[in-house]
Amino acid sequence: MKKISIDPITRLEGHGKIEIFLDDAGEVQNTYLQIPELRGFEKFCEGRPVEELPRIVPRICGV
Amino acid sequence: MKTARRIPLLKKMLGQLGIEEDRLRLDWVSASEADRFARVVNDMTEQIRRLGPFSRTGGGNNG
Amino acid sequence: MAKPKVALYWIAGCGGCDVAVLDTNEKILDIANLVDIVFWPIALDYKYHHVEAMPDGSIDLALINGAVRNTEHKKMVELLRAKSKVVVAFGSCAYLGGIPGLGNFVSNADILKRVYLEIPSNANPEGTLPQTHVKVPEGELELPALTDSVLTLAQVIKVEYFLPGCPPAPDAIMKLVELWATGKLPPPGAVVASDKSLCDECDRVKENKKITKVYRSHQIVPDRKKCLLEQGLLCCGPATRGGCGQKCINANMPCRGCFGPPPGVVDQGAKLVSAIASIYQGNTPADIARMLDEIVDPAGTFYRFGLANSLLHKTRVPASQGGSTK
Repeated sequence: MKKISIDPITRLEGHGKIEIFLDDAGEVQNTYLQIPELRGFEKFCEGRPVEELPRIVPRICGV
Repeated sequence: MKTARRIPLLKKMLGQLGIEEDRLRLDWVSASEADRFARVVNDMTEQIRRLGPFSRTGGGNNG
Repeated sequence: MAKPKVALYWIAGCGGCDVAVLDTNEKILDIANLVDIVFWPIALDYKYHHVEAMPDGSIDLALINGAVRNTEHKKMVELLRAKSKVVVAFGSCAYLGGIPGLGNFVSNADILKRVYLEIPSNANPEGTLPQTHVKVPEGELELPALTDSVLTLAQVIKVEYFLPGCPPAPDAIMKLVELWATGKLPPPGAVVASDKSLCDECDRVKENKKITKVYRSHQIVPDRKKCLLEQGLLCCGPATRGGCGQKCINANMPCRGCFGPPPGVVDQGAKLVSAIASIYQGNTPADIARMLDEIVDPAGTFYRFGLANSLLHKTRVPASQGGSTK
């Protein structure tokens, strides 16, 4: 089975890759989008003073 | 004076970083109190021994 | 003569640094005319295999933003290092770890648990966690693993220059590019910003650095002309490098240290503990207890951008609780 990788996806914010699996006839059998990033804001914001969150969470996305 | 305030604040901050407050000790010993010096140092050594080593991975400064 | 080749790449960042480059507005066109941008995922469609095919050292300047948070980041920055003559740690994440560096307060296991299993807005009834290798009917899929801790760029590869800021200002970016293009960069290892502290450069009136109370930033509306520290706010200015144009101060908010420590300061957080405790008035146990009560999150405030760059680097776990001692 042939595989085409699009890595990285571009012209958007963030990291992503696409794996396309082709069958023997060259038709697309299946496609997977993967997001190879995780920073953990959901966890490391715990314990921070609430009034500081508006200075921390904008760094989730600078666009 | 400044040290008396710096040490508790440092302990609080180190506590947030997983360093138990017993690992840092502030004591006042004059040059003429040799016995007291020996006792304080021995006490502290025992205390650290009881606490055991902690993770040393990572670290370093740059730029 | 061939134009110099420039690559811009992002790892654990937010895109803000790339937007800052775009915010140089029409000046970006000047840059685009002078150089060949050979890799820049936010704007151009080059792939990793394009970079892999480049000869070593063929990229003249690589601007890398974001912190190192997973094994793909590590691999990519090592690749770009091999292909590049000059690497700049671009922005506070690459220089200091930045906001993603706050991940060093918690364990990877706790991050995965919170994000994939506990978060109320997630529907994950099977409790699936991301895997580095997954077999699917058609073949196999791979994902990078989180590194043991968030690392700064220089903790992984050799870095020639550091451009601080969250994000760096478009003017500062143009200044860096100009210095590079005209061969006027300082010796390698330099942080391309001011050599003074923010305090030194701040135009607020400083009278008498003594405070009897620390306020959280929502508790007062500070006077716009007086020093914020003197009004009881925790301003990281004393131990933060200047050159940012005091944007936060001008928004009437205390500095949070995104430019990193000034020259001569090894650990930004330790210096801030020292500075704040020094100006706080009061020596009785009650005074000290009050001060500790008022400073609610010293580590998270004094190491807001620089935890990965600090001497301790991350939360430590005693060996007895499973921390490794290697």
